[in-house]
Parts: sequence; structure tokens; C-alpha cells
Amino acid sequence: MSRSAIFAKIEAATSALKNKAPLPEYDLTVVHSPRKLEGSDLWEIFSRNFKAVNGKAMSSIDELADFLQSSAQTHGYCDPTLFDAIGSKLAAAGLTVETTYERERYDDYQFGITRATGAIAESGTVIIDDDRTSHRLAALSPWVHVAVLEKSEIHRTIPEAIAAFGDSPNIIWCTGPSKTADVEGILIEGVHGPGEQIAFLV
Amino acid sequence: MSTPSVRPLNQRVLLMGTCLCDAFFDDVAKATVEVLEHLGVSVDFPENQTCCSQPAFNSGDWESSRKVARHCAEVFAGEVPVIVPSGSCAAMNRHGNKLQFEEEPNASIDSLAKRTREVIDFIFNDLNIRTWPGKFAQPTRIAFHRSCHSRGTKTGEAVRTLLSSIENAEVVPFGQSEQCCGFGGTFSVTFPHISGQMGTLKLDHMLEIRPDMLVGTDMSCLMHLNGLAQNQGRAIPQFHAIQILRDTLVKPNQSNP
Amino acid sequence: MIGTQPIDLYARKISDEKQGSVLDGSSKGTEKRYEVLHKDYADPDSLRKLAGAIKDHTLHHLGDYLAKAEAALTKRGAKVHFAATAEDARQEILSILRGHGVTQLTKSKSMAAEEIHLNPFLIENGIECLESDLGEFIVQLDNDEPSHIVKPIIHKNRREIARTFQREGIAADYNDDPETITRRARVHLREKYMLAQAGITGANFVCADTGRLTLVTNEGNSRFGMAPAPVHIALVGIEKVIPREQDLSVFLNLLGRSATGQQLTVYTEFINGPKSANQPDGPEHMHVVFMDNGRTDVLASNCREILRCIRCGACQNVCPVYRQASGHAYRSTYGGPVGAVLSPLLFGDRFPELADLPKASSLCGACNEVCPVDIPIPDLLLRLRDKAKREGVHSPAAVPMTPFSALATSPSLWRTAMTMSKAMNHLPIHVAPIKPLQDWLGQRTLPESRGGDFRKWMKTRQSK
Repeated sequence: MSRSAIFAKIEAATSALKNKAPLPEYDLTVVHSPRKLEGSDLWEIFSRNFKAVNGKAMSSIDELADFLQSSAQTHGYCDPTLFDAIGSKLAAAGLTVETTYERERYDDYQFGITRATGAIAESGTVIIDDDRTSHRLAALSPWVHVAVLEKSEIHRTIPEAIAAFGDSPNIIWCTGPSKTADVEGILIEGVHGPGEQIAFLV
Repeated sequence: MSTPSVRPLNQRVLLMGTCLCDAFFDDVAKATVEVLEHLGVSVDFPENQTCCSQPAFNSGDWESSRKVARHCAEVFAGEVPVIVPSGSCAAMNRHGNKLQFEEEPNASIDSLAKRTREVIDFIFNDLNIRTWPGKFAQPTRIAFHRSCHSRGTKTGEAVRTLLSSIENAEVVPFGQSEQCCGFGGTFSVTFPHISGQMGTLKLDHMLEIRPDMLVGTDMSCLMHLNGLAQNQGRAIPQFHAIQILRDTLVKPNQSNP
Repeated sequence: MIGTQPIDLYARKISDEKQGSVLDGSSKGTEKRYEVLHKDYADPDSLRKLAGAIKDHTLHHLGDYLAKAEAALTKRGAKVHFAATAEDARQEILSILRGHGVTQLTKSKSMAAEEIHLNPFLIENGIECLESDLGEFIVQLDNDEPSHIVKPIIHKNRREIARTFQREGIAADYNDDPETITRRARVHLREKYMLAQAGITGANFVCADTGRLTLVTNEGNSRFGMAPAPVHIALVGIEKVIPREQDLSVFLNLLGRSATGQQLTVYTEFINGPKSANQPDGPEHMHVVFMDNGRTDVLASNCREILRCIRCGACQNVCPVYRQASGHAYRSTYGGPVGAVLSPLLFGDRFPELADLPKASSLCGACNEVCPVDIPIPDLLLRLRDKAKREGVHSPAAVPMTPFSALATSPSLWRTAMTMSKAMNHLPIHVAPIKPLQDWLGQRTLPESRGGDFRKWMKTRQSK
């Protein structure tokens, strides 16, 4: 009932318009920010822009292990498909790494290592989707989220990343750690999601 | 004005004096005539002019304001440019009338819209005068209020460029310059508290740069700011930009009170 | 009556502390927006105009695009509902929740939900409904109303929040450090996320071509609301549709920068269906409720451009009246310039009561200048003033204009009045019993009348 009523009212309102606006044609490059796209190496551009939004871009296991140790985030989850490449090495460095995520113990995981779908260089964004992330919650509840990606998965610009959406019903762009400025406009990171967002290149 | 015309242009314009100049600021209208004539433009002042209709238009009484606008279009009928020393009246002719005559197209209203120019915009963009051969006797710091009705028009940049080109003049930027002074015509009457607060904030920002004078292109804003400043015991000389163009050209020694 | 304008009275009575918070927060928002947009784009204006043109096109063909979005979402396994009124939307959502046996849920920030007062309604119907955006959470604890589209508690300071947390048992002791406040909310809310059986969200955009709902948050609360919960309900205004996914490039780049000075909001989610089969977390059921609630009436009006709005709050930040009065002065879900247009239109039956809102503007045009979809807000405010006058709505801000019109269409009367006005210089007008004049003169000194002097000067000059 509501449906037909709404569509009838829309039809009445729009059919009365004398001049209907055409869909403007435009070149998608108008949305590019030249300042943010400076450089040629996509990982370098990404790293610079990711840092600007307080993300941490890393490509060495030692650096990752040091960071987790020094910030006292020593117990976490690793996607089983990434265990050989990353989890086992962190375990060898003395960290506790689980390959199952149990929802009831959400507070036990101080870090979560999951597979990213890609990244956007221009905005310093990590892309996550339902098909490649082993657990939505493992990328969300820990204080540190490590998104693992390959260089070939980095899109240069926002329009390119949109064109590559594909078929996943749930795609998330994470442009830095979770944050708020609700209290007096003061920036605080780690509200509901991770307080540290790491992009890890393999 | 004794300075001879810099270039005979053979151009004629109609002056829209504005109701505020008619009632309070005759010197601004005089300066408009003097500067234009100095530039070789001959100025006619249609005696039957009254107001552009803006007070009624802004208050939402469009039936009343359309009557006034029709009268205005009739008084200024013809082919020649209509020059007005007010960004606000210019915006009324050029844009406001479009809105209130949306449902009843009117050729003389359209013609008035096309021919209306704010005076500094006219000097800068139509007469193509990009520097002003004026001089202040002493270094003079100017706080320029680009009034809101000039938003998105060429007036602000024209004023800034011309004033800056005057010897000894410095147009000094101040904080939150995009903010309104709080006049808004009947707004200042119906929202007395907010209007006063806005004006006080505007004065705070402008006076912070320690200017020697405030300059604007709308006497309405200046009247409101001046009225507030006087009441608050911080009066400061205020001029329409056209007065500065005239005064620096003619009497540099007396233009810096 | 003059001087009893509700918004002016509200601004007069607001505490210095609250007014300071609003002025400071909104001014900073404006500065950040300007800095980021101009650092990134040589000509941000052309981008705003492009976004406005895309929105206009969509609105002019809304029936087609809405049907496309519906079909795409349905094909992907989402269930699409339509609600003509606020009451329809509330009942539809309640019935979906009851159908899934939901008794507890979290809700991420949604202006559409605010508009229909969804929270109190669900709570009255026995469903625990918790706001998860930090600001909205605090608003809910205080039984307050948000006062800004993207900064709901712009009117509060840390001390008030710390007192609220202590009072409501969120924390055992008083602590007004913003980081501590945030951590305490984090701990409190994640327990609720884990127990919730549904997550309610709004949507910033809906792409007609694929049905993808686009949601932006900085805190990650909507993401969390849709991780453990098995049901996702999105309440979406019908005007949120855009033609294609590629158009998101334009809107997302403008939304973050205009709202909070960010290139992109931290979490940008694109959702068009229940979770993937092999994903352990996330809703198995997705419901989209498209809501009209007055929008089609706005579409039929001469103020339809307001439906372009993407709810960034930039017009509120820049508006000098909002800065003085705060969002609460506007007495409706939407405050500031956008609210002054939208509220009297959306809540049509309240038009007479809200007809003063469009008058709460000096028509300075700053709102249009910052609008990411180039809505000509001052023009719309003027059209609404005209509408109020035509419909005979008594407004507290009305100044009678018939005498002005009579004077200004009679040149001889006008000239006489000008000459006579000089007499005012010699009259004690500061004691004249004219209320508006006295209000005006209370703060300002009137210049001396020089009525007719220019005309005299011009005559002698022309006769030379």
C-alpha cells in the first residue's frame, strides 16, 4: 500500500516538471586530489596517505612483532590462511597467536590479523570484504587490526576502487583507526573499532 | 571634483541611488557620481526612483515587493547600465527579482537584471580599470567587509584589488571574514539579540587587526556596524569603497581621519 | 509581534557555556572544511555543482531510480519495504523486529530514525534500543536531543558528560578526560553489541544500479552493530538514491571533507544483501525500509532542491544564526539552515508552528557557499517566507510591508517622506513608543538623517 502510494506521488511530482535535469557527463578524474596522488609507487603513495590518517603501514614481520610487543598487545588472532606467512613468525617471536576466533572471548584478542581485499593509495584506505575476511569481528574488536594485502591489490584512486567492487555483499573501507571527536571536538582514537589500524604488505 | 577625466568614454549610465543613500548617506551617492564622471561616464539620476523592493521581498510579502520592483523597473527602463553603490540592491535586481517573478515573467524586470551593476564591479570589470591612481597621506590599514550580497560576485575581488593599488593603503585580512555582520534588513529588527551578537563578533574580528578604517560596499552593513561600534564605545571611521576612490584621488591629506 | 521571535529568545537565554561550545565547535568545523577542500582541489565549486546536478537529475527521475534500487536489493536477497509516513515506518520496523523475535538491538546514527523518534517508540514497545554513536549515546543517556547533524553533542562539554556517566552508572567515578570517557563507552557498548539481535542503521546513499547502501561512520559503530547481530534493518529516506556506484566518487569525496574535514570518513561501508555464506559474522537478514514521510510533498513543492541534502552539517557550522542559537532553537530534528527549510516542509502539519524558522536568517548565503550539493538555501528560505505570507500564517517575525509598498510606488510621497525624515534629527526618537525602533536603538546609534540632500545636490549639478 505504502509502495504504490509513494510511487504515485513521485510520479505526480516529477511528471509536472517542465525541465528535467539530465545526468551530467563527467570525467572521473575531477575527483582526484593531485596532492594526494604525488609519486609513482603505489605502496609509497598509500603509506604516506595512510600515515596521514594515523594508520601504520608495515612490510616487515620484525617491525610488526616489535610494535605489538612494545605496545603490550601480545595475544591475538590470526586468519589460519595467514598463519604460515605471519602468525607462526609472531608466535616464534614470543606472541600468543590463536587461529580460531571465539565470540564469547572477544576481549581476549588484543590484535587481529585478517586478509584485506586491497587498498586505495589516494586516500590511505584499507579495503575489507566479506569473502576474504575470515571473521568480521576479528577485524573489529581487537585494539590492533592488521590488514594483510599484496602490492598488486592497491588501487591508485577512489574511482578505481569503486569500479573494482565486484560481487561481495559487504565491503568496508577503513581509512585509519576508529575515531571520534564528539567530546569537545577532541580527537580520540579507538572508539568501537581498533585504536591501531595496520596495513601489512606481503 | 576637479581632477579632469582620465578618459572620455562616451558612456551614459543611470544611477540607482538606493534608499539608504537617499535618507542617510548622500555623500556615497555623490562619490559615485563624481568617480564615474571622473572616469568619463555621464550619470543620470531618474527622479522617480524609490527603492529596489528588498525590504518587502526579504520579509516574504512578495505581493507588495513585486509592486515596488515593477515601479523600479519602469523608472530604470531603457538600454543603458544601471549603476548602484550597493551589492545588496544589485543582488535584488539581478537575482531576487528572478525569484519573485518566477511565476509571472516580466521583460522589463529581466532587462533591469541584465543591466544592473554594483559600482565597483562596473569600474573594475566593465570599465576595465585595474589599478587606482590614489594616495593616502599616511600608511592606512583597511579592514574590508565584503558584504554577503556580494558573495559569489566579482565585487569583493574588485574592491580588494583597487584598494590595494592605492599608494599607502594596506587591505589587512581578518578572521572569519566570510561571516555576516548580522544586519540582514528586517532581520536586525526581528532578531535583535542574534543580530547584535553577530555584529559584535564581526567588529571583534575586524578591530583585532587595528585598522584605521572599515570599508564596505553596502551602507546597510556599515550603518549597523557603525551603530553598534558607537554604542560600544569603539567607534571607527567607516567608508564606502567609492568614497575612498574619490577621496584618495582628490584630497589625500584629508582622507585619513 | 516583534521581539518575541522564538529563535532570538532562545539565543538570548542560552547559557554562555553552551553558546561557547556551539560557537567554537562550529567555527572549527568550517575552518577544517575550507582548509581540506582547498588543499585538495583547485576548484571545489565545480565539484559541488556537479554533485548538485547529479542529485537534481536523480530527484527528477526518482521513480525510476528507486524502482531500480528496489529490484537490485531484492535480487541480492534483501527484503525491501516502503513506508509512506513516520507511523508506517515505525510499525514496519516493529513488525520486522517482532518477526525475528528481537528484544534487544543497537542503532547507529540515523537522522531518518531521529525524524520519526524511532528510539522512544521501540523502547515503549518493549525493545531495548541503544544508540551506539558516542554522541548519540550520551544524548540518549541525558534524554536530550541531538543539536547538530554530525556532532550531536556539540552543545555539551566534557564536565556534563562525565557527570552523566557517573549518574547513569556507566562509570563508578567522575572523570572528564575525553579519552577516559571514550574508553568507558567502548567497554559499555561492546557488551551490548554482543547481545544485540539486530542492528538498525540509516544510509547515506543507495546506488540504484547495484542496490549498494553506503554508510559512513568514524567510530565503527555501525560496522560493530552488524557484526554479531543476525538482523540488519536500514531506514532510508527515498531521496538517498543516486544513479550509479561511480557517482559515489563525487559524493564520498565531498561528504567527508564537508562534514568533518576528512577526505573519507574512517569506515565507509557498502552493503547490498545479507552476509556471504562463508562469513561467520554478520546479519543473515537484511531489511531496507524506504521512507517517504513528507519527502514526496517536498518533491512536488518549489523547494525540492533541499532533497539534494547529504546531511553533512557544513551549513550548520558556517551559519552565524546557528552559531548563536544552537540546533535546539529550531525545535525539530534538523537545525540550522537545512532545518529552517526542511523542517517546515517535512512536517507539513506543523508548518504554521515552524513558519518562523525560514525567517531565522540574515540571508547571508554562507550556507549555499559551503553546501556540497550547492543547494540554494537562501532562495528556499525566501520561497518559504512567501508561502507563509500567502497562506496567511501568522509569524512572530512578520513586519507589515503594505505601508512600505505604498510609499515606494509613489515617487512624490517618497520624496516628501525623505525630506520630512530630517525632522527626526530634532525629535527625541529614543523615547518614541515604537518597539522595534527602540529595540534597534537599544544597541545601535542611528545615523543622522540627510533625507533628500543627494537629490538637491544632483539637481544643482545637472542644472549647471
